Amino acid sequence: MQAAEGMVLAKEVLTSEGRILCGKGTTLTTTIIERIRKMDISQITVEGHPVQVEGEKSLEQELRDIEKRFSQVKHVPPLMYIKKKIMQRKAASRKAP
Amino acid sequence: MEDTKKSQFRSALREVKNLPTLPGIIAKLTRMAEDPDTTTEQMGKVISKDHILAAKLLKLVNSAFYGFPQKISSLNSAIILLGFNVIKSLIISSSIFELMESQDVELWEHSLGCAVVCSVLAKRLDVSDPEEVSTAGLIHDIGKVAIKMELKQEFEILQQMVHDRQISMFDAEKELLGIDHAEVGGWLAKSWNLPTKLVEPIACHHNPLEAKDEQLSTSIIHFSDILIRGLGYGHGDDVWVPPLSKTAWQLLNLTQKDLDEIMDEVEEKLWDVKGFSLEIQAELESGMTTS
Repeated sequence: MQAAEGMVLAKEVLTSEGRILCGKGTTLTTTIIERIRKMDISQITVEGHPVQVEGEKSLEQELRDIEKRFSQVKHVPPLMYIKKKIMQRKAASRKAP
Repeated sequence: MEDTKKSQFRSALREVKNLPTLPGIIAKLTRMAEDPDTTTEQMGKVISKDHILAAKLLKLVNSAFYGFPQKISSLNSAIILLGFNVIKSLIISSSIFELMESQDVELWEHSLGCAVVCSVLAKRLDVSDPEEVSTAGLIHDIGKVAIKMELKQEFEILQQMVHDRQISMFDAEKELLGIDHAEVGGWLAKSWNLPTKLVEPIACHHNPLEAKDEQLSTSIIHFSDILIRGLGYGHGDDVWVPPLSKTAWQLLNLTQKDLDEIMDEVEEKLWDVKGFSLEIQAELESGMTTS
């Protein structure tokens, strides 16, 4: 489990008996993470996109790709606006809120 | 390149021997649509004669791609709910879908994504027949499929040119063949007797200035192709965002706020479509296609 302090739960964490251990919206602390770990829970769902998924490109690579795609239309203002927005969206989707 | 070779390419592409024809049912349905006395039942009967087509149609109607709120289970209710022109577009789409998805999954995803942007733009700009615009978006690159199937050797050279020189497929085609996939797609659509509403946007999507009757839908497809490429749905090594036509941009008249909202909507819809696309790919891989 790659949980870290400061991540926010997007779904409640249930024990094996179905009891709610932590509610949705809880901000993780080391104590909470330790408790979840002790319950043998291997997966939790948090908000945002704070963890790198295997096989997924890094944010830096994604941004370089966007830069490349738009490299032939650098003189077109509306397209540069779209590029900026796509980059912002990409960066935002990779960050925890 | 000498002119004789160019005209050879032209005639090969014009004949398009290896491409399947669209089902004759489309011509028949078009005739029926023009007759005000045609009833829903008559139309349903014609469609249901082709079981595979009827099944595909219902599958497509109920897919995330069209995203109708309720499940549509019978042809007649599909016709009543969606109207005749939508059904005709759906039949064209489902026939061409099959051709594209079996040929080139990446091109298909690009096309599907382009159709998603088209539908968002068509609704926003209050186009009278948004389904037709989405259909045009879905099949705008059909000329690429024709080139790939008819001119196999040349297609490999084109791919090499795109890879080595970092140019677009469109530019490579013009250089090597003297024609491009938009023009080829236009011929093909015409040969299938598709309406001008589809032919012009396909033929002019790289140069909307050439469109005579369908400037707005051509501009929508032109810009949708650009936006979906910007979002990373290109085609192989041809990842480039193509130039924006000034005429098209002026006609669309979009503000930054419009663009922000459009991107929000597109992103949400693409998420659904991605699932639909993966489903189809899984079907293809397991050989469980209905055809």
